[in-house]
Amino acid sequence: MGGGFSRGGGGHRASFRGAPTRERSSFKHLGHLKKLLPYCKRYAWVLVFSISGLLLQRFGMMWLPKFMQVGIDSLANPEIPPNIVLPCLGILAVTGLNFLIFVWARRALRRVSIAVTYDLRKRIFGNTQIQGPGFFNKFSTGDLMSRAVNDVSQVRMSVSFGWVTVVMFFFTITMGLVFMFSMSPGLAAITILPLPFVALVGFFMSRSMYPYFIARQEAMARVTSFTQENLNGIRTIQAMSQEASEIERFREASTQYIKKAYRATRFMQFMGISMSGLTMISPLIILGYGGSLVLEGNLSLGTWTAFSTYLVMVTSSVTQIGWSLSMFTSAAAGTERIFDIIDHEPEVKDDSGSVIDEDFPAQIEIRGLTYTYPEAPTPSLNNIELNVEPGKTIALLGRMGSGKSTVLKSIVRLNDVKPATIFLGGHDICDFPIKKLREQIALVPQYAFLFSATIKENITYDDPEREDEAVWDAIDAAGLSDTVSEFVDGIDTIVGERGVTLSGGQKQRATLARGLIRDSKVLLLDDVFSSVDTETEERIISGLNRLRADKTTILISHRVSTARHADYIYVFDNGRILEQGTHEELISTGGYYADLEGVQSNQDEDQSRRERLIRTLTENRDDPEDDVTSVVAS
Amino acid sequence: MAESAQTEQSTPGRNYSAFDAQLTHQALNIQMFMRLLRWTKPYRLTLAVSVVLILISVGFTAIMPVLQNKVVVDEILSPTTNYGDMPDYGLVAATEWISNTFSIHMLAAAVVLYVLMIFFQSFMGLAQQLTLTSAALKTLRDLRVDLFASLEMKPSSFYDHVAVGRVMTRVTNDVENLYNLITSFIQYSADFVLFFVALAIMLDFSGQLTLVALAIIPVAAFATYIFRMVMREIFRLIRDSVSALNQYMQEDLMGIEVVQLSGREKQNIDEYNELNRENKKQEYRAINYEVVFETFNTSLTSIAIAAVLWFGGGQVIQESLSLGTLIMFNQYINMMIMPVSSAGQLFNTLFRSMASGERIFQALDWDERLHEPEDPIQLPDRLRGTVEFRNVNFGYNVGEQVLHGVSFKIEPGEKLAVVGPTGSGKSTLIRLLARFYDFEDGMIYLDGFDVNHIASGDLRKRIGVVLQDFHIFSGTVLDNISLNNPEISRERAEWAARVVNADYFIQKLSDSYDTELAERGHNLSQGQQQLLAFARVLAANPEILVLDEATSSIDTATELIIQDGLHKLTEGRTSIIIAHRLQTIQECDRILVLHHGVVRELGTHEELIEQRGIYYTLHELQFQDVDKPDAFDTDIEEQRRQNRRRWVESTDDDPMGGPPGGQMGGLGGSGPGFRNPV
Repeated sequence: MGGGFSRGGGGHRASFRGAPTRERSSFKHLGHLKKLLPYCKRYAWVLVFSISGLLLQRFGMMWLPKFMQVGIDSLANPEIPPNIVLPCLGILAVTGLNFLIFVWARRALRRVSIAVTYDLRKRIFGNTQIQGPGFFNKFSTGDLMSRAVNDVSQVRMSVSFGWVTVVMFFFTITMGLVFMFSMSPGLAAITILPLPFVALVGFFMSRSMYPYFIARQEAMARVTSFTQENLNGIRTIQAMSQEASEIERFREASTQYIKKAYRATRFMQFMGISMSGLTMISPLIILGYGGSLVLEGNLSLGTWTAFSTYLVMVTSSVTQIGWSLSMFTSAAAGTERIFDIIDHEPEVKDDSGSVIDEDFPAQIEIRGLTYTYPEAPTPSLNNIELNVEPGKTIALLGRMGSGKSTVLKSIVRLNDVKPATIFLGGHDICDFPIKKLREQIALVPQYAFLFSATIKENITYDDPEREDEAVWDAIDAAGLSDTVSEFVDGIDTIVGERGVTLSGGQKQRATLARGLIRDSKVLLLDDVFSSVDTETEERIISGLNRLRADKTTILISHRVSTARHADYIYVFDNGRILEQGTHEELISTGGYYADLEGVQSNQDEDQSRRERLIRTLTENRDDPEDDVTSVVAS
Repeated sequence: MAESAQTEQSTPGRNYSAFDAQLTHQALNIQMFMRLLRWTKPYRLTLAVSVVLILISVGFTAIMPVLQNKVVVDEILSPTTNYGDMPDYGLVAATEWISNTFSIHMLAAAVVLYVLMIFFQSFMGLAQQLTLTSAALKTLRDLRVDLFASLEMKPSSFYDHVAVGRVMTRVTNDVENLYNLITSFIQYSADFVLFFVALAIMLDFSGQLTLVALAIIPVAAFATYIFRMVMREIFRLIRDSVSALNQYMQEDLMGIEVVQLSGREKQNIDEYNELNRENKKQEYRAINYEVVFETFNTSLTSIAIAAVLWFGGGQVIQESLSLGTLIMFNQYINMMIMPVSSAGQLFNTLFRSMASGERIFQALDWDERLHEPEDPIQLPDRLRGTVEFRNVNFGYNVGEQVLHGVSFKIEPGEKLAVVGPTGSGKSTLIRLLARFYDFEDGMIYLDGFDVNHIASGDLRKRIGVVLQDFHIFSGTVLDNISLNNPEISRERAEWAARVVNADYFIQKLSDSYDTELAERGHNLSQGQQQLLAFARVLAANPEILVLDEATSSIDTATELIIQDGLHKLTEGRTSIIIAHRLQTIQECDRILVLHHGVVRELGTHEELIEQRGIYYTLHELQFQDVDKPDAFDTDIEEQRRQNRRRWVESTDDDPMGGPPGGQMGGLGGSGPGFRNPV
């Protein structure tokens, strides 16, 4: 067992010189490991039994040198008849018994560690599923993945080996000392003199490991994120012919990493040599002082040999404690990162259990909605009042960051809104269980995301049981049927990373189909035609109006040509409603909407109108989105 | 076109699924290992030092039991019988020499010798570890950089088929695994050396007893072999289950919004846990074997000790063996069994790294690249900017032709709008021009030079491409404009930003040009990102501009600013613009209508409107003003024509690439360069 442990040296993280000062060196971080206790608790009995098993096995091992001592003494001392048969049989018997105990105890322990890993993964994944946008802004996918993969495996190591090593450490030392003192108290007392120093050195050195270890981890993270970003933007790099300079920058990042890694190894090596150097004093005492005792006839040769063996047991435990401390350190860091996720409270709480009869009109009403994103200084929505009667289609227009998407996200509670601000069919949306609410309201988000699955699986994502016919209807309504029927496998064509690459517009239409197939009371379209050419858009929208005659639709668009099909139009600006009315009303009022219409249809050469718009844009830059931008950027 | 005859470089026929496939995990792929050794070349001296240090250190380790038992036990503590000429490697003599020189007791002398040996052994060991680590880290840094460089050079067709995540882990995780391979290999050889040194010493003392001790070696080796055979399949299943687990989670997280909106959370948790359980099941299976194997090897040591005690003890009784030798043998057994039992653990590392090595070399060996002319044309310092497509046919995959006989010519400074429905081949057109893909059927000329005879790096310096998915990197605004190109100074970058109207929003950022941007520009709006991409291209100052206009949602006001920026960017520059906005189209001199990869219409706006073809239809739809059917009456047409003429004239004597600050045209485009074409 021991042979493998000390090998880890190269992989451990620490640094000897040039220590980062950011993190105070201490053992405080080990406190994070406490969080693992509840996960181990359910296996408490298994743990108790397997630990006892391991102790029993270790106890058996302790007898082996004793047998050797008896055998050797019988050989060395001519007065005692040679006796090697019994010691040999003793060794074999202990070994056989140990084999059985050890196999069982180790297996049980590792099963626990696997089970804890399983539980942790389950919790991590489960908790990510219910988080809101604040969480996903804080943790990128890559970050979450590395926590679920790397950190969990680090924790697993500590659960299966780490603390067992510690228990064993104390047990072995105690037993070793008991045996040694029982054989020769004088020699034992002198022999163990250096051990407290070994422990002290180990303690202080391992205390300063944490920061270096973090430094190495961070250097690796930089290499990883550089690679990821670079490869994601490879076309841009190649288009700008910057491959050579990127390679150079990558070399720089990799060099930084190996520097940190080297320092880590060096620290571990120095730590190892200081500890083993101190440890080596004990065998010397046995060799010198013990030897002189043998010469004087105060110690038998067999005892002398057995002493050396016990000492090896004790000292190897002392040096191993350094190894387990470093493992605990990394496991503690891992635990901290894992519980960042597991303990994260979802922003949107789904705590209402009230059952609402599904027979209500598809009406949406927003009363005085003000919403501020977590950690944003100013609200993104300010006192929004909005009403959509059943069967109507309304359009939201406005600049980027004017709050349109926030409204849609709030309606399906992707944002956590205050109670009694948004009503669906007269019921406060906070009174719906979230699942029920989202069954009633389908939002097609702006970012067209498709899973690496078949088109059908993507479109029937909410309910895989849906019929092919319904899928085709939705595809047809989304204006994608021409494209899909060209595929050999039709709706069973795999798209996404591992399949056919769809264009931006095709992706948007596929996600639109995913929203349409649900035929929900309320349909929210967040700018889903941006990558679709106007011709197709026209076709889809007119189809939609036909299909969803008695249902409510709210769509966001930047095109007046789209908005004009709506029954009513709201123009957003700066988190407020700037203008509202029907297309004709807004045109005749002559505000922002009318300006937009003019510029988009490009019928007039009214230069002043263009400039008025541009001025609005460049002068009024204190809108919430920009504030968020500067906060995030700083 | 001799070069383009290398047909294997085109996409058809490549099996990209190889990048997803499970790699064979052959027992020790020596060839791969030898190949890996090539990267150690610059560090061979360090490695050689490390190897020498290992040998010395191992030598000390091996000889210490001799001192302890042969010298201390047999000579000093229990000098009972003379067993004849037993080897002591001069240690007895050395001890006696120390004892005599410093007139100390033999025991004290032995202790002094012991201290010296420990000292050397430890420091050699330390030096060896440090040299080895240093050499291994540097080797892998070089390998990593080479791998990265090879990925950097892979053409678009590669990234069309292979997910970035899949190649990325090769640069990060797989190289780390190789680090373990190198260090564990050297460690293993140290153990191996120790094994043979110990064996030699043991044989030297007692051949018979050595045989007894060695009897367990074949057993241990056999057990290891069996274990490997059994575990191979299980380890593969574990790996598969882990990667399935990770893949599921990654995809779920990327589409979390869709998951939540579709109310799929519960089902996905169940599906994930299904994979999680499968992983647990395989892990459980693995430990059943692992535990038996590991424990068995530990027990073997005890059995060997018993055997040695039995046989050796008998010999001691018959006085044919010294007691010291017997004790010493027990110590050597540990040295011998260690390499054998640690082989199991080392093999794990070894096999994992083998698979990693295979993945790395697979990526390195993937020879898909754009063909580069053997003897590239030296382009003049500044091209005039004529672009000509002559009968270009192209398809990404066999049997799926995207472009059919595309021919057109653009004069210097002319702007061409490419329009057509989604999937008509517009993007393909510019991808070919920028040589993102190889094409063989047809010609593209740049100032009369065949682009296939121009080095792609040189070509891309002349052609500025703004892709639809232009990438904002994490880093400062300035870095994003200059893309870390040292040739682009801060002044030039800022000038470029000012010209394309990006300056106004950059100034509002907390640290203006030094503001750190998030990956993919998450802290910028779409419009701002677009302007930044314009600044990026302008700063590089290419002769020809190729732009795939972003279709994504930009409000009209921002669009105005972008239009103005685009206008300044294209000024006096040959431009090919895949246009989605009427405004953009009208800024262009001519319009090319692409439909199903065929050039259907080509001409000025007026000509195409008159044709009443595809462009006319698109145009009508975009105007969308049913109330005013006479929107394009002749008056407006006439005025537009006049405007364009004026504009073309003005650009003729206002060539691009002026000095920094020369184009400070503010917003609203009231400067001399800006004309409302309508």
